[in-house]
Amino acid sequence: MSSNKYFKHEGPWSDASDPLMCSDTGDWRTKRPIVDKDKCIFCGFCAIYCPIQVMEMVEESYFSPNLGFCKGCGICAKECPKNAISMMPEGDFKK
Amino acid sequence: MTDKKKENLTKVMDYLKHKDPFSKGVAFCPGCGLELLLRFIPQVIGNDIVITGTPSCSAPVLLGQNNQSWHTLSYFGTLMTGAAANATGLARYYRKAGIENTVVCFNGDGTAADIGFGNLSGAAERNEPFIYICYDNEGYMNTGIQKSGTTPYGATTTTTPLGSAHKGKNLRRMNLALKMAMHKIPYAATATLSDLDDLAKKLLKAKEAKKRGFAFLHVFTPCTTGWGYAPENTIEVCRRAVKTNYFPLWEAVNGKIRMTKTVKKPKPVSTYTELIKKFAHMSEEDLQILQDDVDYEYCMLGGLSLLEGECQLPVSSED
Ligand SMILES: Cc1ncc(C[n+]2csc(CCOP(=O)(O)OP(=O)(O)O)c2C)c(N)n1
Ligand code: SF4
Ligand code: SF4
Ligand code: SF4
Ligand SMILES: [Mg+2]
Repeated sequence: MSSNKYFKHEGPWSDASDPLMCSDTGDWRTKRPIVDKDKCIFCGFCAIYCPIQVMEMVEESYFSPNLGFCKGCGICAKECPKNAISMMPEGDFKK
Repeated sequence: MTDKKKENLTKVMDYLKHKDPFSKGVAFCPGCGLELLLRFIPQVIGNDIVITGTPSCSAPVLLGQNNQSWHTLSYFGTLMTGAAANATGLARYYRKAGIENTVVCFNGDGTAADIGFGNLSGAAERNEPFIYICYDNEGYMNTGIQKSGTTPYGATTTTTPLGSAHKGKNLRRMNLALKMAMHKIPYAATATLSDLDDLAKKLLKAKEAKKRGFAFLHVFTPCTTGWGYAPENTIEVCRRAVKTNYFPLWEAVNGKIRMTKTVKKPKPVSTYTELIKKFAHMSEEDLQILQDDVDYEYCMLGGLSLLEGECQLPVSSED
């Protein structure tokens, strides 16, 4: 993992030369964004507005969320000009 | 990809030239405007920046925890009272040592408008070579949503609750960005998350301007948890703040103000407040007070933007 350039330690106490910390924020989700590939016009608004920046380009033809980290805020669905994203209850996906 | 599809891609993508230095899973609330802003900045102006900032909602992520960090940027944590003084030291050191980078002093409204305003104003007056970004979520969110100088009239916070004596904040908000522009610094601007192309341009301009001295950005950054609106509405809240002139977008080069977006038919401020629970109790009279304040501020801004050239000081005549 690359360390930061200017300090051995960042701030008074954290060290970026260690692997970065990362929480499974996908676990927080109560609703899951589902993208309808056919409706998607590849405008990228969902991607630029996603606070976590987890809307990833797929085959350069549509966007899909990285569910490991997507917090389910629903911004992508709200901002999509084609209503190509629906927020489905997370419970529907649990066995 | 078919070229036709590629044509549809928003131009904002063109500004995202650098990597997002943050780990994917970090501790901001779902829908937090601050998270989008923090990930956006280094993607636009690059990772070769030193961020310095204070205790706030940004700190748990910027500062790291238990000796580990959430990102690969260089970060230096300071006290709320001396953020801009610390940034001054960093920026002067790099300048003296001949190291070319960008110091970004990144703080909430609590530090920028209230607790650390004195040294912010001082750094601007001395024209120190760094960028100061205030992310304005209109209150002290990290300590439990207390009111700050930028909390607007009527808004409920934990220190301006609904009660028999008062209904929310009974004072107006201060205009921090305008105050900073009045320092006649090389660059001052307002921005928000609905207009990311505007924000990107202003970040790049601030990076250029800091070669000439102080650059200040005031970014309207809604807080879903503290304001009480649905997390999916973060961008819509920003959009309506702009469309009602509640938060106008402008920039000032050496104090000369220019609107970067003008709204043809501004909507009533109630189309903004209706999305947010902190305003839910406001009566029509209360909303009118807020509307009058919005109109007054906008009018003042418009007037200032019409000023041409340098102001001539009046010459006093003898006798
Ligand atoms: C001098 C001082 N006073 C109070 C505090 C306690 N404190 C820690 S975070 C915080 C809130 C900061 O508010 P703001 O800068 O607006 O950032 P936000 O939490 O809203 O992101 C406060 C008051 C402190 N750290 N230092
Ligand atoms: S906002 Fe909607 S249409 Fe645009 S890329 Fe995302 S899913 Fe596709
Ligand atoms: S729901 Fe929120 S976090 Fe998940 S992809 Fe959409 S915008 Fe990103
Ligand atoms: S309290 Fe507000 S500013 Fe703080 S992390 Fe949550 S949404 Fe963001
Ligand atoms: Mg704040």
